Amino acid sequence: MAETQGNDELDPKQKSGPKRLLTAEATVSILTVLMVVVIWYYFTDSIIPKLFFPSPMDTVLVVGRMEGVLVEYFIATMYRVVVGMLAGAVLGVVCGIAMSWNKWINSILDPLIEALRPIPAVALIPFFILWFGIGDTGKLILTALGGFTVMVVTTLEAIKHVSPIYIMAARTLGANRLTIYRTVILPAITPPLIGGMRVTVALSFALVIASEFMGAQSGLGYMIMLARRTLQTDAILVGVIIIGITSWIVDRMVRIIGNYLTRWAPRSE
Amino acid sequence: MSAFIQIQNVQKSFEGTARQIEALRDVNLEVQAGEFMCLVGPSGCGKSTLVFIVAGLVSPSGGAIQVGGVPVHEPDPDRTVVFQGDAVFPWMTVAQNVGYGLQQTNTPKKEQEDIVTRLIELVGLSGFRDAYPKELSGGMKKRVDLARAYATNPTVLLMDEPFGALDAITKEKMQEDLMQLSVTEADRQRTVLFVTHDLEEAIFLADRVAVMTSRPGTIQVVLDIPFARPREASIKLSNEFQELRGHIRELLVDEEDNGT
Repeated sequence: MAETQGNDELDPKQKSGPKRLLTAEATVSILTVLMVVVIWYYFTDSIIPKLFFPSPMDTVLVVGRMEGVLVEYFIATMYRVVVGMLAGAVLGVVCGIAMSWNKWINSILDPLIEALRPIPAVALIPFFILWFGIGDTGKLILTALGGFTVMVVTTLEAIKHVSPIYIMAARTLGANRLTIYRTVILPAITPPLIGGMRVTVALSFALVIASEFMGAQSGLGYMIMLARRTLQTDAILVGVIIIGITSWIVDRMVRIIGNYLTRWAPRSE
Repeated sequence: MSAFIQIQNVQKSFEGTARQIEALRDVNLEVQAGEFMCLVGPSGCGKSTLVFIVAGLVSPSGGAIQVGGVPVHEPDPDRTVVFQGDAVFPWMTVAQNVGYGLQQTNTPKKEQEDIVTRLIELVGLSGFRDAYPKELSGGMKKRVDLARAYATNPTVLLMDEPFGALDAITKEKMQEDLMQLSVTEADRQRTVLFVTHDLEEAIFLADRVAVMTSRPGTIQVVLDIPFARPREASIKLSNEFQELRGHIRELLVDEEDNGT
């Protein structure tokens, strides 16, 4: 939105051009969604038996049938995703900055992170259940761990690629090291960090759902697991759709916040 | 009295991938207080390295630098640099960029504001105070860079091919503006060390031009430029100007032949 405004100021003649184009694109996207629903409606309950894939009507009905528990499970999952993700991301960025600030911190943390990084966090779920049980603690730590690894690597790489000319310019203007980190490095690494944050969002949802599959007493992953045992495909589908939509919304929020924080950055459309 | 900037027997070697590269050898140069000195030389002769050493960004392998009688060891806002590349912080507005150096000092906020406003006006960017650099052209960004370097009111201004990336017309305009700035900002005696490979630029701007040899770079000769200041762009067409240009060009061509 901010970019469109910027362009409009530069060239008022183009105002209607991109706007109409955007509407045309949006129309096509909406049509695609509608078509999927129509195909879904047409094939289910007839050619495809309900047991394999529920119809749109069944899916909507199941939401009404289980609304209370659905809300409870949704909140449980979202709590794990958001808290785990934020804790991991903040810790990752702080550690990344600390590692670039001080070579000793780097020598201490680097081997630990390198040892942890190639291990898919899901592989650790059995251990986490053993250590922390099936409550929130283990799931939060697991999710944070996933986000941490992504963000610490993203931060380190981003700092490495900050153009030296900015740092030299800041030094000649009298900035000390702390000021350079605050006023040059932090803003310069924000765009790549937003990218890392989007990966972290997707990963966090995956980790929370996977850990809810393996052992939980609440959550959308737990709901899907229960429904699978009793072959309630409509409940499975509701779970999947809710996860998909919320994951998309959270990603969208990260993008909006990211666009605001990097409103200074030149963008190629 | 000794010179304001004293460069004595400065050496610089870099560790290359295969072997050691000797960039500067026995560089001796004296720049008087308030003087505009241009540094020209074949490409790769280490003229940028020399400016970075005076800035305190790079430490010499040997020799010593003194500015105002004080040895140089690290950067100082009293010696600001305008770089060849785009060094304007893209995440700060024009005003924030220009005020960056002042913010590192104890200058009162009100006074900082005044200096920033005055400099932005001086470089002709009044309407762009709160604009981000992405909305500016290359020439406008260079003006921001210039204003930022002037803001701390340094005694030494170091310029490393500042206009090298600009198109010919913008470049000429910037040279004239720089000439103008040196007049309006004359409240303080400012010593300028300006690196360029553009001989016309060097002769137009400088009181003296130092010609360097090819790598390892050293000072070949220092020439006086006799034109009075402030200068108009039209002097570039005079015979005397063109003769000087031809003379320096010959010195450089001989060097290129020797070097490679």
